[in-house]
Amino acid sequence: MTLSHFTALFVFALIVSVVFALINKSEPREQLRYGAWVFLAFLGVAVVVGWIMFPFPF
Amino acid sequence: MPTKNPTRTRVRAVPDDDAATERLEETPAVQFREPMGMPIALAVCAGGWLLPGLSHVVLGRWRRGLTFTVCILTMFVLGIAMQGRLYTAAPDPTLPAFGLLLHWLALVADAGVGIPYFVAERMGYGDGVLSSPNYDYGSAYLWVAGLLNYLIVLDAFDISQGRKP
Repeated sequence: MTLSHFTALFVFALIVSVVFALINKSEPREQLRYGAWVFLAFLGVAVVVGWIMFPFPF
Repeated sequence: MPTKNPTRTRVRAVPDDDAATERLEETPAVQFREPMGMPIALAVCAGGWLLPGLSHVVLGRWRRGLTFTVCILTMFVLGIAMQGRLYTAAPDPTLPAFGLLLHWLALVADAGVGIPYFVAERMGYGDGVLSSPNYDYGSAYLWVAGLLNYLIVLDAFDISQGRKP
């Protein structure tokens, strides 16, 4: 099975954020908010770091 | 330090207005478990290691436990499907010392999934295909699935000791 890098990152972020939210927060609303924050942080940081590394020759 | 009171509930800040008081009264209190004996708690945690999510199900956290099971197994199966590598207890003897250390760390991470790891390893999955475009992602999925399961087991231990709801 071959996934694009973004799809693999998306699925990875989704699963990890769900687990983190359920572990760290106990109430559904907090879990949703925290999970969404972790998920977006994963995607955002990966995209930003990708663009920062883009001009590097190595 | 947690108290030994089985009916303990989360302590909330005292609200300073009536509306906040009403909202607080409408919110159900979060229930903590009565602390379990250490041998039983460790047995529950061992079950959670062998089958991801089992410890939460045993502790009565059905939804959370089943969600953990789905998440960890999905991640593990995707890692295998992406031709990631499962590290085994037979490292390449030509590895230098640092390479050997990394191998054992990867093995500890992979083995965190429990029974699915041993089954997949016995069935010959997880050889890892370096030329696969998703090899790195697949291996990372396999490591993270195991590491997340360790976190889940620690969470279950805290629940069993009445430290978390």
